[in-house]
Amino acid sequence: MKNYPIWKSFTVISLVLLGIIFAIPSIIYDENSENWFLKNKINLGLDLQGGSYLLLEVQLDVLYKEELDNFVDSVRLISRDQAVKIEKIDIQENEVVVFFANKEKIKDIRDSFFQMYRGVSLQISNNRLSIKLNDEYRKIIQDSAIKQSLEIVRKRIDESGTKEPLIQRSGKKRILLQLPGVKDPERIKDLLGKTAKLTFHIVDNDNTSALQNNLAPFGKIIVPDMYDENTKYLLDKRAVVGGENLVDAKGSFDQTEGHAVSFRFDTEGAQKFGKVTTNNIGKNLAVVLDGVVITAPRISSAITGGSGIITGNFNAQEASDLAVLLRAGALPAPLEIVEERSVGAGLGADSIAAGQIAAIIGMVLVCVFMILIYGTFGALANVSLIVNLFIIISLLGTIGATLTLPGIAGIVLTIGMAVDANVLIFERIKEESLKQTKVFQIVKNGFDRAMSTILDANITTLIAAVLLFAFGSGPIRGFSITLSLGVIASMFTALMLTNFLVYMYLSFANKKELKL
Amino acid sequence: MFGLNKIIPVEPKINFLGLRRNFLIFSILAMLISIVLLSIKGLNLGIDFKGGTLIEVSTKNTSIGELREILSSSYSDVSLQEFGNENIILIRLQNKSNQESIETVNSVKNLIQDKVVEFRRSEFVGPTISSELLFRGFQAVSFALIAILIYIWLRFEWQFGFGAVVALTHDVLFTLGLLSVLNVEFSLATIAAILTIAGYSINDTVVIFDRVRENLRKYKKLELVDLFNLSVNNTLSRTIMTSLTTLLALVSLFIFGGEVIRPFALTMIIGVIIGTYSSVFIAVPTLLIFKFRPQDEDD
Repeated sequence: MKNYPIWKSFTVISLVLLGIIFAIPSIIYDENSENWFLKNKINLGLDLQGGSYLLLEVQLDVLYKEELDNFVDSVRLISRDQAVKIEKIDIQENEVVVFFANKEKIKDIRDSFFQMYRGVSLQISNNRLSIKLNDEYRKIIQDSAIKQSLEIVRKRIDESGTKEPLIQRSGKKRILLQLPGVKDPERIKDLLGKTAKLTFHIVDNDNTSALQNNLAPFGKIIVPDMYDENTKYLLDKRAVVGGENLVDAKGSFDQTEGHAVSFRFDTEGAQKFGKVTTNNIGKNLAVVLDGVVITAPRISSAITGGSGIITGNFNAQEASDLAVLLRAGALPAPLEIVEERSVGAGLGADSIAAGQIAAIIGMVLVCVFMILIYGTFGALANVSLIVNLFIIISLLGTIGATLTLPGIAGIVLTIGMAVDANVLIFERIKEESLKQTKVFQIVKNGFDRAMSTILDANITTLIAAVLLFAFGSGPIRGFSITLSLGVIASMFTALMLTNFLVYMYLSFANKKELKL
Repeated sequence: MFGLNKIIPVEPKINFLGLRRNFLIFSILAMLISIVLLSIKGLNLGIDFKGGTLIEVSTKNTSIGELREILSSSYSDVSLQEFGNENIILIRLQNKSNQESIETVNSVKNLIQDKVVEFRRSEFVGPTISSELLFRGFQAVSFALIAILIYIWLRFEWQFGFGAVVALTHDVLFTLGLLSVLNVEFSLATIAAILTIAGYSINDTVVIFDRVRENLRKYKKLELVDLFNLSVNNTLSRTIMTSLTTLLALVSLFIFGGEVIRPFALTMIIGVIIGTYSSVFIAVPTLLIFKFRPQDEDD
């Protein structure tokens, strides 16, 4: 072992061993292992293990519009208290402009309003008060809406029985979900697509002309039936009680009514509900979910126990899903699904199998080719290549990276590209062997001369891979990870392991001359 | 042992630059045709960039014709395609809005429920997302090209950087042109492939440039054309070896890696061939524009 320092041999051997040992958990791949060592395995991406990726967008515009409506209601109340007449209210995209009959008390109105909505921009000019949704106020609405939505989405997903979901905010107004192993993505999308705003309203059966003209008087709203768009109800705008007062809801079955959802109110809800049902016996009470009336039964007696059932034309699944939605609570604003990628377990397994075959065949082809071209040196390079693969796998496992289908492609590509460094070295050795005869000097020069080229060549590939990671999404990131790890590992295996193997081979074979 | 490497001589003397005009004309034509193709025919954009819905199903006792008949009665813009084998079928739909798509997937699933063994995959990309993805892909490619060039500029003289830009632009345009001709689906994975090709092609170019720089120091008197020829010849067997091993791995991926990854593998195969060609026949001759030595300036 001429010229080969012991510390260097030690480093190379230990790194190789570490690479092989830490690849074991990913190769055994025991999904449920709790063992501290076996837990360090590769995570399979949704495209390989099956599951759903969903990107949801919170419909903030709806919230901004609602807030403007709230402004109008509050201004009306305040000016009624102050006994100031409103001439006109102008609702624009971003602001509400209120025209008062006189301007005497306009400052008082402004101050009272500001007490209720701190942060909005208020401006007085003559008899006009303009209330503006400024950027800061929008941001407050936005942040709280996203926070609430996240919480409710999480509850709904948990209730749906999905294991290990990943739910996180993405950008300004989006929520990203990764749901491994979901078999029925349509059901999940249904659960997420509903706002689930539940309210109870007293039905106004006296004012028939309002329904005929389709024009709700002040303080009333017209709401269609869930099952028949043409059936409409005139309801008190103010809800008697809402979903926020529910403490429990579950699917139930009633001999006469069929599948239903039974619910229970908290103390406050029970009191309100009891009071309203006591005072309105004989009238109808509409159950409104997301802008449609599910049912509007007649109040036959006061309901003071704080619980009840909602009946509709439900089947068992619908009733239990509605119960899930009511338990989780209402979303502050509707969610829209803007991207979905769902993969079934079958396709995922097929992809893994195909990727493995491609990797093995690619590996065999490259190895055979290397031996055909470089003989023994080719075989040494092949050892490096195989170790390289182990190192990639062990790095993926220890950093907890996610392996995706493009990631597998990255590994296969790395198999082809990883020998490049070896080729560069061998070609230099070949050239050097023409210039001199000292075997170890040839090898040393070969490695030294190839070094800067190897670095230059691999750094450009790394740059491309890193930018791909920065700008890429999901599965593509998996590709950039395996490619980067592959490039880094190949530099190590070529410059250190191949180097070590070549020295060992030359020492033990006691070569006096070198012909490549 | 086998010594097949003797096929390529250690110091080959092939006059690569002698034919540079022919190759230059070929490449300029290829780029022009690519530009025309891209502006007239365009790329076969997948749902990542066009938006829409894609459903992959495995079927039994049915045919693509039967499924098409069932679906086209409800949807005018539905397209079906066999994917790998006749039992696996891809269904594509264009949707105008996000809400519509959810309903579409549901109703498509209901319509063909009894013909289907498994719903293997369903993807939906909304209109806002597809344009964002396109923008981000464009951003990634541009930044990567700029970063690579900055690196080349720092490590070599600026003239080499210029040669690298010309070669890279050539590779990207030519590859896109071929993708357009072959009607290969252009997806997020294609962007990844193009970036990797850029990295690979530069890698190849850098190895030859490295040798040019070394030879410039070594042979002070040699004519530039001869010096460049020598450098290409010095690195020739490496260029061929690395391209071949990379292609071996990619062909294996193309044949055995499954239907989903096939367009990616094909794009990479095209790119590796073009990248290797351009390093030798485009990047190096471009350097002839510049005078590298003081004495050359006296000529």
